[in-house]
Amino acid sequence: MAMRELVTGGAACAVPGSSSSANPFGALANALIGSSSKTQERLKEIPQSTPTASEQQFYPDAHGHLQQLPGSEFEQPFMQPGTQSSDFLRNFNSVDGNRLLDNAWDEIQISQPPPMHVPQLDRIYDLGAAPQLQPTLDGPPQRVLSSFLHSFVESSRGGMPFRPAPLPVLGLSAGDKRCIRDRTSIMARHFFADKSEDFINGQVNALLSSLDIESDVNSKGPLPARFRELEDYWNESQAIMKPGAHATEGWVTEFNQHRVDHGDPNAWAHSFERQHGANGWASEFEQEQSQLMSADHMRGVNMANLAAMEQTRMLANTLAQNDDPKFQKSRFLQFVSKMSRGELIIDDNQVKPATSSASGDWAGEYQQQYNAGPNWADEYARGELSHGPNQWANEFASEQEQHGSVDDQWVNQFSKLHVDDWAEEFGNQVGEGILGDTSADTWANAYDEYLNEQVASKQHSDASRGVYVFSDMNPYVGHPNPLKEGQDMFHKGLLSEAVLALEAEVLKNPENAEGWRLLGIAHAENDDDQQAIAAMMRAQEADPTNLEVLLALGVSHTNELEQAAALKYLYGWLRHHQKYGVLARPELSDSLYYADVARLFNEAAQMSPEDADVHIVLGVLYNLSREYDKAIESFRLALKLKPQDYSLWNKLGATQANSVQSADAILAYQQALDLKPNYVRAWANMGISYANQGMYEDSIRYYVRALTMNPKADNGWQYLRISLSCASRNDMLEACDSRNLDVLQKEFPL
Amino acid sequence: MPVFKTPFNGYSIKFSPFYESRLAVATSQNFGILGNGRLHVIDLSPAPLGPAAPHQPITELIAYDTADGVYDVAWSESHDSLLVAAIADGSVKLYDVALPPASNPLRSLHEHTREVSSADYNPTRRDSFLTSSWDDTVKLWTVDRPASVRTFKEHAYCVYSAVWNPRHADVFASASGDCTLRVWDVREPGSTMIIPAHELEILACDWNKYDDCCISTASVDKSIKVWDVRSIRVPISVLNGHSYAVRKIKFSPHRQSLMMSCSYDMSVCLWDYMMEDALVARYDHHTEFVVGVDMSVLVEGLLASTGWDELAYVWQHGTDPRAP
Repeated sequence: MAMRELVTGGAACAVPGSSSSANPFGALANALIGSSSKTQERLKEIPQSTPTASEQQFYPDAHGHLQQLPGSEFEQPFMQPGTQSSDFLRNFNSVDGNRLLDNAWDEIQISQPPPMHVPQLDRIYDLGAAPQLQPTLDGPPQRVLSSFLHSFVESSRGGMPFRPAPLPVLGLSAGDKRCIRDRTSIMARHFFADKSEDFINGQVNALLSSLDIESDVNSKGPLPARFRELEDYWNESQAIMKPGAHATEGWVTEFNQHRVDHGDPNAWAHSFERQHGANGWASEFEQEQSQLMSADHMRGVNMANLAAMEQTRMLANTLAQNDDPKFQKSRFLQFVSKMSRGELIIDDNQVKPATSSASGDWAGEYQQQYNAGPNWADEYARGELSHGPNQWANEFASEQEQHGSVDDQWVNQFSKLHVDDWAEEFGNQVGEGILGDTSADTWANAYDEYLNEQVASKQHSDASRGVYVFSDMNPYVGHPNPLKEGQDMFHKGLLSEAVLALEAEVLKNPENAEGWRLLGIAHAENDDDQQAIAAMMRAQEADPTNLEVLLALGVSHTNELEQAAALKYLYGWLRHHQKYGVLARPELSDSLYYADVARLFNEAAQMSPEDADVHIVLGVLYNLSREYDKAIESFRLALKLKPQDYSLWNKLGATQANSVQSADAILAYQQALDLKPNYVRAWANMGISYANQGMYEDSIRYYVRALTMNPKADNGWQYLRISLSCASRNDMLEACDSRNLDVLQKEFPL
Repeated sequence: MPVFKTPFNGYSIKFSPFYESRLAVATSQNFGILGNGRLHVIDLSPAPLGPAAPHQPITELIAYDTADGVYDVAWSESHDSLLVAAIADGSVKLYDVALPPASNPLRSLHEHTREVSSADYNPTRRDSFLTSSWDDTVKLWTVDRPASVRTFKEHAYCVYSAVWNPRHADVFASASGDCTLRVWDVREPGSTMIIPAHELEILACDWNKYDDCCISTASVDKSIKVWDVRSIRVPISVLNGHSYAVRKIKFSPHRQSLMMSCSYDMSVCLWDYMMEDALVARYDHHTEFVVGVDMSVLVEGLLASTGWDELAYVWQHGTDPRAP
């Protein structure tokens, strides 16, 4: 129903004849519009007769009308359900011509009274949307609510007995209900910051159910970050059932996906409800507590009421726990609390919840159950598993198997290659005499420590490597288009933010290869190869033939010194390439040898010497075989074709650094940073180059800079520690170990 | 008495940048949950000689009623009588105190789809203002256009506050319930900086009036943080002392490191973030949540606060706000 109908007293208003003459709306409509045939344009020309009426209406003498409160006014449905002020707003906007406003403003500017139209409309709007302002008006729901709320508060202070009207009589419009629901939901999260999401929802639901407002799935939920509590909760309960960090992580991933589907604070509860019926929760509880309660009390609306009452009790407890007398006196908190308690007053005609009553006992029991947090979650989880349609449990199980196999592969590769190669590399470098003599001992010590840490961390990280680890707190979950956001941020160089946005994207669309790919690249540029590999592997699952993904995986594995894996992906790149696919021989893919792959790529380079990508892959391959001079040559060729590719400059620099041309490397990194100042990897590499030249003090500055941009890069911290040792800056080791960037930045500004 | 009783619950209070004795107070019925709103323009009766005169009775110049709660108000920096009001029904209304009551509001701008939570007038360009809303957006308006100039939609949850940089005419910051503070340049397509400033919702932010790179944030996590936008990894300072969510934060127009905050713990606090003992003063005059504070630009040390106890206080720093 349009507001217009309301104003003109259309059929939907259903104002009985006897009262319509006394109804200012009717009178107003008659005076202003006369007949319903007038168009909306006429609204602009409303004569200025109403303000006086509306002015009077504003005086808050509403309490005197309380006795009329539960009365007849609601027999006349003032607004149809679903009629909301937004309808009116639309009308208003349509009338609210731009030209008109411009005129208005111009006239104001030359200090003349503006035309009356616009303010008039506002008045009308005020009348329409806030009809409670007219004391003699029958049936405006907001006035009744206002009186109700205030007299409720007043009476509580005066100590007068107060009986609220049965709430359905209030007949709030859908718009009003939405207002109360949404605003209290948002505000409650400010008031009760220390409390759990359950508690806050309980508070809001208590208030809403007192006012006969359904809490709505579509209402503005809490921010995503709040879910951490739930996750912890779940992890705890899962950990009890299935020991092992990996299981928990898989679960979290699954849960994240699950939760995005619902995007709602109550999603958890809702999904449970869907599977078990609206009272599933209750009924489960009921089974255990049936000796305490008769089933009747637990059903339907009563269930909600009891829950509301219980939440109120919790609020009362909270308030009681706050010693501040100001809080005890706070009218707002009393208001919330008493509103909630209203249900009980109506049901039992008592002012306080009777603790000895059955319902009180129930509440107590419930409280116990509730307080036993993890057990409860446990119970739920077990219930979930045994309760029929537990699809996602199965999903999770299969997911876990998948991850499991991936892990095994990974573990094998890792154990074969990682530590040994690293040691070998180290040996080579020492042999080549990169290190200054004086620092050799400290360096060796630091390296020993590093190696030990590597071994130690390997043991616990093996299980999780190859599995993508999502951030705990992600403000982009629920974002309408996180992919776009992530792309934008990536292009702006905000890598850490881009990672979050892209994580939100792949949580939303786990099959989005582009999302995973960009996420992988963001991690790679952020100097985090493990996460980069994990993300790229997911990208490859989603799109096995994506060339960029295959190349990136090849590069990342090369960085991690995993030759077999690197060869596999680089060969895959060739095989899936439109042009060079013909060169690939299927019999090769079973047992890839470096020489074969390198030969194939050389053939490809001869085929099209103008393709920068082939030269890039060749450069990577030569890095694998440590033929750095050839690698440098390949990258230089590629750079002639793609001089703006910052990552290519970085590759060149890294190769030069590896081939003991660290001074050249610094120039290449500088090129990369000129093209992309936020390129964390280049900053870190710059540090490595300085360290390689024995300029540890300089290297420290670059490491610190890179770590400032991405403190999560574990490698960077290791490098920094080594450089600190080498530079005899043992005084800063503590700051490094505690990852105190504040101190480090102050000490080593760039 | 420097106290003014408002019929509804106070939501915001602002000193006029033109008249040292004039303030605007935004109020909402039923704690802003449902009901009407009212915008008061009040005058302190002529101050005696010094700025520190405590006995200033308050008179109401005019009041405007609205159909929904008024969540914030901002004085124009270009017209001494012009006010921008942020209304809970999603509208932004302009009032001109110099015009007859019937002419007001002279504009009602309906673009936000949810509650409008803040309004801030550009202090350097003086021709435009910002509003932020629970619809997750910030909108840029100029007084001569009937529609917004731009909408900034990047936040993932309610935007509680958007504030212009006092030095750079095109730069502003926005504080959101998505736990981030964003810095924007209206000449750029998107935000130029994203600071995950708190673990919980951020309810307010304000720029330092002397250091254009310094900004403070106030959060549901009870803390106030001061940031240097050139180095955002760690805050310059973290101020703890409020025992509930901090609702507003305001930098002093007179002293670089002085700030004023108010909180759901019903107190108003003054802070010097450069001092080791940062809490300068705590005022406990309100008996309900305090949600609006301001510091006078024209009179040093003159403070104002309003809260859900339906009272607006104006007092000189160092004196008791309740003193008759």
